[in-house]
Parts: sequence; structure tokens; C-alpha cells
Amino acid sequence: MVVQSANGRFDVGLQSRTSMAASLLSLVDLEVRRGMTVVLTGFNLEVASKDVVVLHGENGSGKSTIIESCARLLPLEAGSVHHHGSLVVDSEGRRFLAKKPFGLTLQSNGLLGDETVENHLSTVCSLSGMKAELLPTLEAYGLTHRRFDRIGQLSGGQARKVAVLAGLLPAMISPQPRLVLLDEPDSGLDDNALAALISDIGKLREAGHAFVIASHHPEIMKCATRLHNLESETIQEQPKCQPWQALGTQEKVSLLSTKTGHRYLRSTRAGLARNGLTALLVLGTLLAFIDPVSFDKTILVGFVLAAPFAAGLAGDPVVYLMREQRAVDWWRAHVNRLPAADFLAPVLGFILTVIGCVLFLDTINWKLSLVGAGVLWVTLLCVRFIELSTLRLARPNAVFIRLLLPILILPWALVVEYAAIL
Amino acid sequence: MRRQIPEMFLGVGFVGIMTTLFLGLNWAPSVSIDAFESPAAQRIFYWHVPSAWAAFIAFGVLFTGSALWFFKRSPFGWRLHVAGTEAGLACGLMTVWSGCVWGAAEWGTPWDWTDVRLNTFGLLTLLALFLVLGRQSQPDGVETRDTFSSFGLYGFVLVPLTYIATRIWQIRHPGPVIGAGDGGGSLQSSMALVLLIGALSFTLFIIGHMMISMRITHLEQRLEHAQKSLDGGN
Repeated sequence: MVVQSANGRFDVGLQSRTSMAASLLSLVDLEVRRGMTVVLTGFNLEVASKDVVVLHGENGSGKSTIIESCARLLPLEAGSVHHHGSLVVDSEGRRFLAKKPFGLTLQSNGLLGDETVENHLSTVCSLSGMKAELLPTLEAYGLTHRRFDRIGQLSGGQARKVAVLAGLLPAMISPQPRLVLLDEPDSGLDDNALAALISDIGKLREAGHAFVIASHHPEIMKCATRLHNLESETIQEQPKCQPWQALGTQEKVSLLSTKTGHRYLRSTRAGLARNGLTALLVLGTLLAFIDPVSFDKTILVGFVLAAPFAAGLAGDPVVYLMREQRAVDWWRAHVNRLPAADFLAPVLGFILTVIGCVLFLDTINWKLSLVGAGVLWVTLLCVRFIELSTLRLARPNAVFIRLLLPILILPWALVVEYAAIL
Repeated sequence: MRRQIPEMFLGVGFVGIMTTLFLGLNWAPSVSIDAFESPAAQRIFYWHVPSAWAAFIAFGVLFTGSALWFFKRSPFGWRLHVAGTEAGLACGLMTVWSGCVWGAAEWGTPWDWTDVRLNTFGLLTLLALFLVLGRQSQPDGVETRDTFSSFGLYGFVLVPLTYIATRIWQIRHPGPVIGAGDGGGSLQSSMALVLLIGALSFTLFIIGHMMISMRITHLEQRLEHAQKSLDGGN
């Protein structure tokens, strides 16, 4: 049965009017700009348990903007976004972590090419504080044989399946109602995967989960309970089906960002390739021209600490990795603290300073090595902070962010003077 | 006539700057050879100090514009921000360049990384360069304006820090000349006169520069709006 709603751009869902308490998502008077254009204005939406809201409309009408606003990725000009009744982002700049995990599939996959399928999906489970046996799900999407492969080795369609699965997983593993946000999930999926996706959406809806999906695909539109073209809404009845049985079990998770950052670095060796090599090149260059015997101790300590400082100036390798396919945005939606090279920084700083001590001071100074570890760690944090400040830009890689790094030279020089008396 | 005001400011400022240069190099008295390592290089002072003064005005405009955009979303604020960054970059580079020449002659080194004032001023200039290049690399939009105006706000912390740095952490750089709060210090009246002409000229020049810059930004925005209208009509 198809029912045209009383309609209006600012209408709220008919189902949700009856049970505001069960609201999984509320968008209140949303106004969002992209570039200089106001894409959404005065937009309201309530999504309750068992809602499947499919947003459709012309390109540029604001479907992805709604999904990304719901995932707290876009700053709001006006209004607020609430998950499960709690504020997650508003126009005052407040931005809180969603109290209940939610699923997200962005238009860009948000995946790291060096992650394995298994690792990425396990991380998604960990973000929900759960673990699950993923084999049956991977089988349904034809990914079993690719379970331990790196995502970068998959075809575009297979990678899209992983991204879609990552979006569905928080609902699949949870017995409690969860919100799932999917932006063009059908793009690149083959017929079998699309059928599996539509079947899963139906089962998960029956289990009480809610979906907001941006799509033009007729099959996806058919499985909607509410078709929304951003102006008006159409209600669709859906047949009953077998509800989804939650797959997950509780798991205690701690230091997820640090562990994930460490795993990224272990699998890519980006820390050594970027930071380590930069530091070694600095050491090599200094050695090529300098005879350590002819300098006083302060200058030699400066040479020793130049290597960890240069390694820190190269920036956080995890942030660099996460720029691939908007992985950083996917993470920003889910956590307040992004994965980082927390473990690598002090260890690498310590090792580089020990090498520098041997080369320039002819002895290992343990105190100085600890200072070196601190220098690399603090420098990396500062560079990371500056780099993350530009993430909102349309072309964050095009800004000359390193022009601001000389601010770190004076503090480094002061540390060198202090370290020289150790 | 009103439309010509920025050009008039620029013209008068330019003539004043040239006059300052002439007076500074030819008319102002020489300093004591005992007080300076390189007394002749001291004449750069008549260029260095007024350009630093103008840079601080430009950075002040940058801060005001950044705050107006960031908190009020004022298009006028964004135009101020753009004008402040461009003028700040120009004057900042003039100050840094003249300071390096003077420093090389007087101290034997063009730059001292351990001098807080040099560092903070250099960083302000780099911030202006970052903002000018960054703006050129990004499409205009709220994301760009929000990000760069927040950097403008952060950067302004460096302005008072730079000013007070010589009082707190003076290493090589001498104390403030303008607004020193000690009755003008040791400057002779003829030296002070040249410095005053320089400061006024640079002020007029930089105001004219910023007014023209704001006009150009306004025209750019109109052009972009017109192009978007054409895009929408296709």
C-alpha cells in the first residue's frame, strides 16, 4: 500500500509521531551549507525503530549532505542532530560521541587499502564493544575467500561490499535497535550482493533497526518504509519477514584508536617509511659534512635531537594513511580520538636518539634518549593537530600546512639547550 | 571622487615611502659608531620599523575580518580577512627581509632561531603566506572561510606576543620603538621625524592596498556568483 503523507518539506515521519521515545535519529531545523550554497534549510526528520527512510532526488539535492550531517561530519549552520534522543552535533559547534554505535557507509568507501577485510570488519565490531563470527555474513556477500586479503587487492565492487557490510555490522551484531546510514550502498554491487543487501535490510528492519539510505536504485526504493524526496514523503507498507538474529557477543575494548593506529603502521610500515627515513636522511646529511670532534656539546646535542625532530615534522603517518578514500571521515564519525601513532612516536624517537648519541657523542645517553622520545612525540602531536585542523577543506592536501611548522623550532632549540646539561 | 580614495591613499603613501627612503638614507643623522657594529646599516631602521608597524595594522585587520566571518558570517569580514592577509604578507616580507639584511650587518647573522620576537614575527608572516596560498588552492566556500578564519584568529595571539616578546625574552632584538611607553627613548628629533613620516606613509599605503584588495575580492565574488548563475542556466 502506498500512502502520500500530508507532506511538506518540514514534515516528520508519520510512524515516528506515534513514538517519539523510540526515535533513533532526529534532525531538527537543519541548515547546512556546502561551498557557498545552502544545501538544506529548515529540514526536519524523525527516524524511529523499524523505519527504512530512502532519500531520493536529483544530484546535488542534499541526500549525501543529510547522511553526513547525521554522521556528525558536517558543521551545521542551524539546527541539531540527535541519536537515540541525545545530542550529537548542533549549530553551536557542540559535537558529542553518539551514545549508541551506528552503522555508516559513505559514498567513498572509507577503507584503508592496507587493512584486511577481516581486520576492518572486526574493528567495526570493536567500535560497538562487541565481537562476532563474520563467516556467514561474508559468505552471503561472496567475500569468504577474500577474508584475509588486503582491501587494496580487491576489485572496486568487492571493496564496496566490504564498505556496505561495515555499515550494516553494528546492526547485525546488536540485539538493541541501531541506526544505519548508507550513502548509495548499491553503487558497484552485483545482483547477488544487491539481493543480499535488500534481504538483510528487511530482516534488520524487522529486528527493530532503522535505516537512512540515499539511493536512486529502484530495488532499494522498493524496500523503503518511507520514501523521502527531501520535499515530501511517501509511506510504503512492507511485508513481514523473519527478523535478523543478532550475531554479536559483548567484548571489552580499550585503547581502540591506539591499537588500530599501531595495526595500520604494522601492516604498512608507513611510520618507518615516512618518519624513520626522514630522520635517517637528516642524520646522514649531518654526518656527511660534520666532524663531531670540532663542535661543542650543545651543538652536538642539537644534531642528536635533530633526527627525532625531523621525524616528528614529517607528521603522523596514520593521518596520512587515513586520507585514503575518506577513511579519516569514517573514523571521525565514530570516535572523538582518531587512530594515531601513539606507540610508534616515542619508540622511534628513543631509537633515533640512541643512534644519534652513538654517532655524535660516542656514547649512549639514556636521559637524552628519553628527551628524544618526547621530542618526536610532542612534535608529531603538534603537526597532527595542525593537519587535522584543515581536514574540512575541499582539498586538504593542497594547503601549505608546513609553512606553520617553524613555530616548533624555538621550543626545540630550548629543549636542546636544556638537554645539553643532562 | 570617492571611488578614487584607495588610489589616492596608495599614491600619497607611495610618495611618502619614497620620501622616507630618501630622508633615511641621505638626511637623517648617522648613529654613533660606538653604539653599533655597523652604523651605516642602521639606516634600514627607517624602512624596517614602519613596515613592521604597517604589518601589525594588516594583521589587526586580518584578525578583525577573521572574527567577523567566524562569529557573524559577515561577507565584509571575509573581505577584510583577505585584504589583511595580502597586506600582512607584503609588509611582513618587507620587515623580515630588511631585518635580515640589518641583522646580517649588525649581529653577523641574518636570523636567530632563539629570539622569540623574530620567531613570532616570522611565523606571522608565514601564517599570512599560508593563508594567501591556501585561499588560492581551495574553492571558495564556508569550509574554506571557516578554516582559514580560525587560523587567522589563532595567529593573532602572536601579535601581542611579538610586541611584548622583547620586554620578556629580549635576546638580540632591541625593544619596541613605537609605543615604548618611556617617552620615546633615545631617538633624536630628526630621526623621529623621518620615522614618523615613514610610519604615516606606510599606514596610508597599506590602507589603500587593503581597500583595493577588498574591492577586488568583492568583484571576484560577483564574478563567481555570475558564473554560478550561468552554470545553473545550462
